[in-house]
Amino acid sequence: MGTMPSPDPWEKKPMTSTLSPPSGPAQKHGPRSGRAPVTPNAAEAPRPRSALRSRLGALDVKASPYLYVAPFFILFALVGLFPLVYTFVVSINDWDLLSGAGEWVGLENYAAELTDPYFWNSLFNTFSIFLLSAVPQLVAATFIAALLDQNLRAKTFWRMGVLLPYVVTPVAVTLIFSSAFDEKYGLINNLLQMLDIDPVGWKSEVLPSHLAIASMVNWRWTGYNALILLAAMQAVPRDLHESASLDGAGALRRFFSITLPGIRPTMIFVIITATVGGLQIFTEPKLFNPSSSTLGGPNREYQTTVLYLWDLAFNRGDFGKASAVAWLLFLIIIGVGLLNFFISRSIASADAKHHAKSGRTARRAARRAARKRTLRRAHGQAAHDSKEDPS
Amino acid sequence: MKFSRHTRTAAAVAGAAAFALLAAGCSTGASSAEPASSDNPVTLTVTTFGTMGLGDLYKQYESDHPGITIEATNIDTGGNALTDWKTKQAAGSGLADVQAVEEGWLGQVMAVSDAFTDLGQYGAADIKDRWVSWKMDQATDPEGRVIGYGTDIGPVGLCYNKDLFKEAGLPTDRAEVASLLGGDNSTWADYFETGKKYKEATGNAWYDQSGFVWNSMVNQLPEGYYQADGTLDIDGNAALAERWGELAGGAAAGLSAGQTQWDWGKGKAFVDGSFATFVCPGWMLGVVQGQVEAAGGNADSGWDFADVFPGGATNWGGTFLTVPTQSKHPAEAAELAAWLTDAKAQVAAFQAAGTFPSVTAAQGDPGVSGSNALSKFFNDAPVGEILASRAEGVKAQYKGPNDSVIQEQVFGPATIALDKGTDGTTAWNDALATLKNLDLK
Repeated sequence: MGTMPSPDPWEKKPMTSTLSPPSGPAQKHGPRSGRAPVTPNAAEAPRPRSALRSRLGALDVKASPYLYVAPFFILFALVGLFPLVYTFVVSINDWDLLSGAGEWVGLENYAAELTDPYFWNSLFNTFSIFLLSAVPQLVAATFIAALLDQNLRAKTFWRMGVLLPYVVTPVAVTLIFSSAFDEKYGLINNLLQMLDIDPVGWKSEVLPSHLAIASMVNWRWTGYNALILLAAMQAVPRDLHESASLDGAGALRRFFSITLPGIRPTMIFVIITATVGGLQIFTEPKLFNPSSSTLGGPNREYQTTVLYLWDLAFNRGDFGKASAVAWLLFLIIIGVGLLNFFISRSIASADAKHHAKSGRTARRAARRAARKRTLRRAHGQAAHDSKEDPS
Repeated sequence: MKFSRHTRTAAAVAGAAAFALLAAGCSTGASSAEPASSDNPVTLTVTTFGTMGLGDLYKQYESDHPGITIEATNIDTGGNALTDWKTKQAAGSGLADVQAVEEGWLGQVMAVSDAFTDLGQYGAADIKDRWVSWKMDQATDPEGRVIGYGTDIGPVGLCYNKDLFKEAGLPTDRAEVASLLGGDNSTWADYFETGKKYKEATGNAWYDQSGFVWNSMVNQLPEGYYQADGTLDIDGNAALAERWGELAGGAAAGLSAGQTQWDWGKGKAFVDGSFATFVCPGWMLGVVQGQVEAAGGNADSGWDFADVFPGGATNWGGTFLTVPTQSKHPAEAAELAAWLTDAKAQVAAFQAAGTFPSVTAAQGDPGVSGSNALSKFFNDAPVGEILASRAEGVKAQYKGPNDSVIQEQVFGPATIALDKGTDGTTAWNDALATLKNLDLK
């Protein structure tokens, strides 16, 4: 290579293309390109080789897309599917963390967990914290997004501002909140005592601890969700707002009748990601009271399911049961995901026809309306055409 | 949680674990077939936790042993170190060449004792007389394999705040305090009765929280949560129930400050007069100093150390250095472990962290019995001498496979419940219910 006087790298391009591509396109392109070295090369190739080449070419066309997407699927198989299957295998065995696989016990671990009060307690905590965080968070995020959607000075500053909490690592957030929520020396209880209010058991009572953890989640994720919703709001056509305000609709009316329906798909996306994240909450409850001897509060007041799973596996050393919990949680998340999907679908179709009562009638009504619309449009078009014709 | 030695800062755990992984990944070098030398360098990894006072010894060992490089990791608390050990043990890789193991883990460790190198192959028999005999017995598995060399033991004395004692009209001199609590025949009844007098005089709590007092009470019994043959023995255990009753009485009388253990408001509770006494195993002295200093206090904050403990001599905690079979350099690692636990090293560790030596020669060493930074902090109390006196008559208690889980998850919540006003019987029954739910054996 080095000894060859290589003029311009671009010169090589046609050469390379004759070497590799499928024969079909090369023959087609060859004559058109008019380059002497190219055409003879293809024409002089012995027949069997070109057959091989065309077969290779066909294979290339058929197979290479799969090759290109393969890295993801190979990675997924390694770090997603394999652990999933392996976890299942562990879950049907009596498996100790340190001494390894024991006896095959079938679904006994699942049965044991489904009757374990701590498992149900962890599910209750998970859903409670999830609802306490997701609902206010989405309401606040929508409100903030609506504010940011106004004509503000220094837009970027405000938008970056709401994203700042998201940049801070959850560990740091938790350490700060944990100190503020300390029962004896924390900032919040000190303030309450200054106002002559009894201190609250933030780390030892169910509802206060859930509120405290939800506040960490909200602090971190509200701004992030607000930015996503803001992007969606900005895609809502401005002329809709304009014509609505010409018709006399106030800001509130426009928000509920134009903005909210307009961002519904994004809202559904935000809700689903919040659900998946919320049901797997771990860092915040794990570090909320790191000196607690029982994970998630002295009496498991805020022990979420992932925390319970971790405790089972690494403190109590019962890998089998921990894996069963992992699978149960997996199934629950799929269930909640499907529920989300169906709800959002019925909302979406209800949107097509406001008066519809159920999903099915809504779809039927939507179809009818669509037919009518096309008819009307065709009609209108014909009228338009006929109007234009005489000129 | 008997094995935690410092305020838990979980952020540090993640870092420590990452470093440990990194260190383990880097531990390459010569094979163990030929001894280490400057031509045949060997890197040894060491994982410790809490305040073990070994930090300054590594450099000395490196300069004495050309070719050896030590990469040390210290995990913040024993609890986090246990998780780290379990995870790497379960994964089958990542453990250090020299791994510190706490007494409280022994039940779990002994269940997989073949995962540790038998130090008998590396001359354990020649040096076994170094240690107090029960320490060596603890580290020997049923097949007679020695899996670790003892570092410190945890004889328990009583820390008290002499300024608070003075305000309450109690004696402040440590010998008088010892006899106030009954001297050599001190009982828990003496301790709680004196506490009630203190409470009456000042309105303040006597001890920080019920958890540590309970740990000491259980550790003191010939058999704790398990019988010596390994059967769980809590429900219907009269000795435990009797002590629980005493503890519940103390909490009901307002003697507990209801502090969060291993937190204490980042040390503030040690300097704001929240409580006047504190159970102090040797290694806890360094913790107390750390807490007081974290809250801005110093030697003038009034803490002192008395040669007395209710219920008699007891041991709480203590550590071993082991060589996991995962180590690629067991010979070098065993040599390092032996060196780090010899008398000279234990004296140095004591001076750095208050960890009381398990080696008899070190216990009597002037470096331990004499004055040092720690004794100055405790109002010039001869902490080494006191601990040696507290170590007399200590017997090791059998630790069952789930000892630490029971301590944390069954009696942790129950002692907190006492501190929050639950009556003793309810809390005890709740503990039994928890035990049943956890399905521990």
